Amino acid sequence: MQSGNGVEAESVAAATDMRGKHWISAELKRLDQETRFLEEELEQLEKMDNASSSCKETLGPMNPIWDRWFEGPQNSSGCRCPIL
Amino acid sequence: MSVAELKDRHTAAAETLNSLKDRLKQKRLLLLDTDVAGYARSQGQTRVSFGPTDLVCCRTLQGHTGKVYSLDWTPERNRIVSASQDGRLIVWNALTSQKTHAIKLPCAWVMTCAFSPNGQSVACGGLDSMCSIFNLNSQTDKDGNLPVSRMLSGHKGYVSSCQYVPDEDTHLITASGDQTCVLWDITTGLRTSVFGGEFQSGHTADVLSVSINGSNSRMFISGSCDSTVRLWDTRVASRASRTFHGHEGDVNSVKFFPDGYRFGTGSDDGTCRLFDIRTGHQLQEYNQQHDDNEAPHVTSIAFSTSGRLLFAGYTNGDCYVWDTLLAEVVLDLGKLQNSHGSRISCLGLSADGSALCTGSWDSNLKIWAFGGHRRVN
Repeated sequence: MQSGNGVEAESVAAATDMRGKHWISAELKRLDQETRFLEEELEQLEKMDNASSSCKETLGPMNPIWDRWFEGPQNSSGCRCPIL
Repeated sequence: MSVAELKDRHTAAAETLNSLKDRLKQKRLLLLDTDVAGYARSQGQTRVSFGPTDLVCCRTLQGHTGKVYSLDWTPERNRIVSASQDGRLIVWNALTSQKTHAIKLPCAWVMTCAFSPNGQSVACGGLDSMCSIFNLNSQTDKDGNLPVSRMLSGHKGYVSSCQYVPDEDTHLITASGDQTCVLWDITTGLRTSVFGGEFQSGHTADVLSVSINGSNSRMFISGSCDSTVRLWDTRVASRASRTFHGHEGDVNSVKFFPDGYRFGTGSDDGTCRLFDIRTGHQLQEYNQQHDDNEAPHVTSIAFSTSGRLLFAGYTNGDCYVWDTLLAEVVLDLGKLQNSHGSRISCLGLSADGSALCTGSWDSNLKIWAFGGHRRVN
């Protein structure tokens, strides 16, 4: 009986080992993939413009002072805002 | 290879990844030569000025008996759908304050709601991990309840946020506590694409918010408890197009800037930020100094039609109106007369940009609109 238990224990340990191996292997693949993505991003950054170029575009074509929200009525006869 | 050898390789790979992340962070810092406010001041921009009567609370929508968690406007007409801890969706006519529908939900633990582009359906999701669709024109059942017309099931965690794809009543995107976003085909009830998850590159914690680009509906962003925002192309589910770092806490709210080339965020770290999608740069931080160290969290954000104003709701009931360019608070709706008595949980701008709706844990929704006459200089 004891030798039977020993064989069972060994096969349980082997199965656990196999599952652990699969999991670590999958994790390793995920880490390698993430590393490749980050290396690509680092390469892109070498050629990227500074933030000031993007800031310049942000000031771009938007209405410089007022939103539609704040335009208010074009005539004085009443507010155009449908809510009011 | 043995398990021990695999473990060693895993440790080495994790170290390589962390080292690359640090290098990326340093490289990005070097490229941040200015921010939007610094540049705007150098160009002589002056701050938007607001008088206390410029923006007023013109409606209070009362009817929920629990905290309001989410709201959405229709693309046309002035209707709003709201979701509450009371286990109901209410559809309101914002002009008349009337309730057109009060929908008792099969699962009371709702977290998000959205109107379909044609205004005929509403979607909601929450702790049941499902997204339920209701057709507002359906006949009610014998108990007077509107039946669910479609259940979208497949998420393995709560549904935190949902949005219909603009101009497509048959597709919507959900964000979930299972770390994924999903694009659904409502007609079939099936998942068209899953973004992230255990077999694909994506968020590494709960996803809390989603925003689809109004200028290019194949593009959307998601904000997560992993402190990042990811940009996705709906045609490429295997990986995010870009990951945006900067926040130091859960990203509760993300919203595209009106031109679609930038987006805003709101976070548990108490700040809002503006990012550029093409470069990944953080262009601006919106951070109000507080006397104590407990800065209130940002729960929700929205941009005005031009993008010049950023509206941000906070856990302490404040609702700041930020001048997006100069990064200054120009108004706090939380300090005005008739303001909410509790946390602002959600907010949204009407489709024509003429009104802002805020939802709160005080169980009310409020509509804020332009209050007077103003000359354009």
